[in-house]
Amino acid sequence: MGEIVTDQLSKRFGKLKALDHVDIVVPKGSVFGLLGPNGAGKSTTTRLLCTLLKPSFGTARVGEYDIIENPVKVREITGVLPEEGSHTLYPGMTAYQNLEYFAKLYDVPDEEIHERIEELLTFMELWERKDDNAGELSTGNRQRLALCRALLHRPEVLLLDEPTSALDPVAAKRVRELILSLAKKYNQTFFINSHNLSEVQRICDRIAIIDKGQILLTGTTAELREQLHAKQEYMIRVAGDIEKAKSITESHHFVESVKVGVDSLIVTIDDPYENNSQLMQGLLAAGVNIIEFAEEEASLEDLYLEVLNGGGN
Amino acid sequence: MAQSKSMLVALADIRMALKLKMVKWSLVLSAAFGPLMTIGLVAGPVLVFTGPELNLMIAILMPMAAAMLAMFSVIPATMISANALVGEREQSTLEPLLCTPLTDRELLWGKTLSSVLICGAILVLSTLASTIGIAAVLLGAGKQLIIFPDLPGLFMLAVVAPIVLFAVVSLMIIISGKVQRVYEAYQMSGAIILIFMIPMMAPIIFSPSGVVDPSMIWMWNFVSFLLAVVIAVVTWAIAFKQFNRDSMVSLV
Repeated sequence: MGEIVTDQLSKRFGKLKALDHVDIVVPKGSVFGLLGPNGAGKSTTTRLLCTLLKPSFGTARVGEYDIIENPVKVREITGVLPEEGSHTLYPGMTAYQNLEYFAKLYDVPDEEIHERIEELLTFMELWERKDDNAGELSTGNRQRLALCRALLHRPEVLLLDEPTSALDPVAAKRVRELILSLAKKYNQTFFINSHNLSEVQRICDRIAIIDKGQILLTGTTAELREQLHAKQEYMIRVAGDIEKAKSITESHHFVESVKVGVDSLIVTIDDPYENNSQLMQGLLAAGVNIIEFAEEEASLEDLYLEVLNGGGN
Repeated sequence: MAQSKSMLVALADIRMALKLKMVKWSLVLSAAFGPLMTIGLVAGPVLVFTGPELNLMIAILMPMAAAMLAMFSVIPATMISANALVGEREQSTLEPLLCTPLTDRELLWGKTLSSVLICGAILVLSTLASTIGIAAVLLGAGKQLIIFPDLPGLFMLAVVAPIVLFAVVSLMIIISGKVQRVYEAYQMSGAIILIFMIPMMAPIIFSPSGVVDPSMIWMWNFVSFLLAVVIAVVTWAIAFKQFNRDSMVSLV
């Protein structure tokens, strides 16, 4: 049973179909990534799930609650980092006051409010800045503060729109680690919108690719590759003359493509299980010194571009 | 719990509103200008006129002063409520607030309370300041004491003004789902305050003999009251019915 289940979820703004019959299932405790170009419908999906928008058609369930029938309950169990989260804080309130205000609105028990704020601000390395107005913090620090706000009431489901945008690499890494640890420790479910493909590949259990309001493909990276019938690539790292290695590789009829790197070749092979050893023998026989011969992981970026270019249809 | 959450929203709105220079100055000017005008209108003629002329002036100016004081007290509500709704959206702080478990009722009460608390306080303090100020000027000049507000004036300040205040906020809730900028909201909601022009001007305009009849003052006060009630009830009903997070967010 999924923690987030959408059923034909659709949203229209006038004549514009922002979301068109979207079906997504996100299991409890998993990290789900929604990928897509600008205007694809990612933020609309998040806004529908956190009950900010009402669906034009279809519905969704978050935890036990339907977003149309029980919007208040849905909001109780979700934590939201909106798009451009760093701009959504009260600039005239201090970091502490921003969190205290939302803690009260989310019914965090009074006796726990200070402890939770201290814990989160310390983790995000903002405790020293707790008395600074949010408007005086850098964009990165504001983004971290907005994340603290989303986590404050320990929600079952977190809807995060570009959570690491505006963060430096170190802070982004900490946030990624936090997401993974929370998903594991508290079984929290994460629904993440992102443009950052390597980030999604690193932390998400499942991925969906959305464009023009429609889900084009969904699954794990491996499943996406399978669905796209993407060719497995192999990396052959050699010592010495790379051009010679290239010409020998190309001379084999079963080699479909060869890309040349600094000290390696990226090769696609027809029927690799049958022909890999033949290629390796051919290279060795020609005096090419092979250092490594390995399967190349198809990057999410390649798959993403392939789907958006029509491969997923 | 519902009440306390509304109060939390109201206090946050007040805190944020007081950070804005425009709102701060509007509060200062309303709080100062209302009593000063009232003292001038009521105590001034006593210092200059005597006999029947004074009675005529007082009869004309007492209702005008009460309505003016009420108007000055309600003006800041347009700014506070515009900032509490449209301003929050402009600042992008509305979206996280709408994501909290606040019900629509709690949210709207909170947004209403922020204006009611501040303008209510201004209304009470301005009335007290005017009463004391007028008494001080007259006693200081050795003139006969006039109690301000008189009964129709008290009705205007204690009954009509809070209803108009309520109407201003509920109109702002309706407007907030339709406009994108704070200044547009200011302009549109300000029109309701013109209700106070009725008790200010109508008794003079509609007294052909030039002598203001006290019963006419009551009548026009009552017309203002009825108009304010109708506008407040209609706008509040529409505001509650039409308010939805969808339209607020779609305008972002």
